[in-house]
Amino acid sequence: MRNLLRKLLLVDLLKGLWLTFTYTPQPAFTFQYPKERRPTAPRFRGVLRLQVEPGTGAQTCIVCDQCAKACPDDLIELGGHREPGQKLKALDYFDFNLSRCSFCGLCAEVCPTKPIKALVMSEDYELATYGRDRQVLRIDEMYDGLPIQAYTR
Amino acid sequence: MGLIDHRFDDNVITTNLDAVLNWARKSSLWPMGFGLACCAIEMMAAGDPRFDIARFGSEVFRASPRQADLMIVAGTVTKKMAPVLRRLYDQMPEPKWVISMGSCSNAGGPFPTYSVLQGVDKVVPVDVYVSGCPPRPEALLYGLMRLQDKIMKEGTVLRRERVIKTGSTEPVLVEG
Repeated sequence: MRNLLRKLLLVDLLKGLWLTFTYTPQPAFTFQYPKERRPTAPRFRGVLRLQVEPGTGAQTCIVCDQCAKACPDDLIELGGHREPGQKLKALDYFDFNLSRCSFCGLCAEVCPTKPIKALVMSEDYELATYGRDRQVLRIDEMYDGLPIQAYTR
Repeated sequence: MGLIDHRFDDNVITTNLDAVLNWARKSSLWPMGFGLACCAIEMMAAGDPRFDIARFGSEVFRASPRQADLMIVAGTVTKKMAPVLRRLYDQMPEPKWVISMGSCSNAGGPFPTYSVLQGVDKVVPVDVYVSGCPPRPEALLYGLMRLQDKIMKEGTVLRRERVIKTGSTEPVLVEG
């Protein structure tokens, strides 16, 4: 009898629906992406970036070629020359083939310069390009990063 | 669209009509989810309420190529899958676009092996390459925005030729 009443009055259905209703008035939690950028985690590995010294803007890379050796896919090519009388090498070119990169971070991990690491994984992830030739980052893009185009509608 | 596309010169009516058609095309890009590997997880995450690809009009992931405008190739394309991918691309109705998502479909990724296609642009023309391993959902949304910019520059009824950039590599025949 009690079981029949439960079934007739739809008690179980209303119980379940009540749980649904308690969840319904929630604020929207969509990230409005082009307007607001979600903060990245501290361990996030974005695109590779060369750093300069903050105050002077001097080159920090010492052209030791360790990142090129550490890369599992041989994506980094760099070279420099030594001015007569100078102790540090000057960085001439730094070509980074982004297309195959798996963002493992081994190159940034082995970078030996102190206190400022010359090679870091930055927080940039907007990397869409129209062609594969644009995916080889040259030295100026390694310093400044790829330009991010704003959303127009 | 077959009667009027690429048949007119620039004037007030045709350029405005072109802008309206392009706006309509870019605002309802129905993707065919071509999830092949881990990038598919991020592609699905881009469709969820947190990132909401529906804000760009691309939420309708179609299972049939005949209803899709955009193919998002997400993941490692093996040489066994490549003929299937090409056939599905051929079955999509014009106009159609391709986003290559992730390092694997861009260039083969960490698999320079005999079994993996070294870049999906060897079998289909790719419009936008999204780098990342895998790209975040925001990166895919950014790639979609770049594709929308590209669509707005295309000529639909105008005589202008449609620019298809396939990248630096030559297309190759894949046996299968």
